[in-house]
Amino acid sequence: MAARVRETAISQLRRGVLEFCVLALLRDGERYSYELVRALGDADGLVTTEGTLYPLLGRLRREGVVDTTWRESPSGPPRRYYHLTPDGQAALDGFVIEWTRFRDSVDDLLGNGVLR
Amino acid sequence: MTTDTLHPLAADYLQRLRRAGRGLPRGRLRELLAEIEGHLSEAIDPSASDAQALTVLDKLGEPEAIIAADTPDPDELPARRGTKEWAAIILLLFGGFILGLGWFAGLILLWNSRAWTTREKWIGTLVIPGGLATSVLIGLIAIGAPTKKICHAFAGGVQHCTNATGQSTPILGVAVFAVLVLAPIATSVYLARRAA
Repeated sequence: MAARVRETAISQLRRGVLEFCVLALLRDGERYSYELVRALGDADGLVTTEGTLYPLLGRLRREGVVDTTWRESPSGPPRRYYHLTPDGQAALDGFVIEWTRFRDSVDDLLGNGVLR
Repeated sequence: MTTDTLHPLAADYLQRLRRAGRGLPRGRLRELLAEIEGHLSEAIDPSASDAQALTVLDKLGEPEAIIAADTPDPDELPARRGTKEWAAIILLLFGGFILGLGWFAGLILLWNSRAWTTREKWIGTLVIPGGLATSVLIGLIAIGAPTKKICHAFAGGVQHCTNATGQSTPILGVAVFAVLVLAPIATSVYLARRAA
């Protein structure tokens, strides 16, 4: 029971922060989908199934925070390159501030919890 | 399609994804397939061993999970089961009594709604066209149908009649009628649950 509650909470946290991790990866320039998915997949504890990131990329596109361009690849099918839109940049900037506050508060509370 | 340049296991995975995604809007499934195909062709060399291919596919996750992640969430469709969806369900069930026209109105609402997949819409359409009105109509026709009577005339002018319909017919009739009534009700419950 406790394990299930924890898993649900963690998966909701992941879902909440993942899209901003995608935006953060695009901060320094465009990347294509496979690059993005591998970068997120290699981050410890962030992604359980890489495949579910593709629907997330689609949602970000529909939300207008990223835009895409198809380009030929030197090998294999064409690649879809993602870049931030001004909306996406603004969403990322806002999240970075909120996240820092959130993380500090949670760290404080968790730290207190251990001491008591 | 460059499926022929994919590792056999990757091609098989893509097929499973295509099958699992039949309920998705078509454009969305096409985009998803293109992205996953790109991933597969990049991550798995066609000459890779099966073990290498399976490792990549494990990381990618079950096709069904990917499709589930792409199914529109409540945030995207604020009124998953709004007034229109309820109207569609009620009209499909009872609309047939309004000269049959109400059912067609329900049908239009059903097919225009984004709350159901194509498969669910077909079930709503085909079980049973006309809804309860059809069931009642068929029931009335069955009751109204003249029951054959076999009469034996005996000497002295006395007539003795028996019903020609065998014992099994009324039971069968009731069973068929029950199915006819229950099927549209079950469909309504199904549609209401799927749209939730």
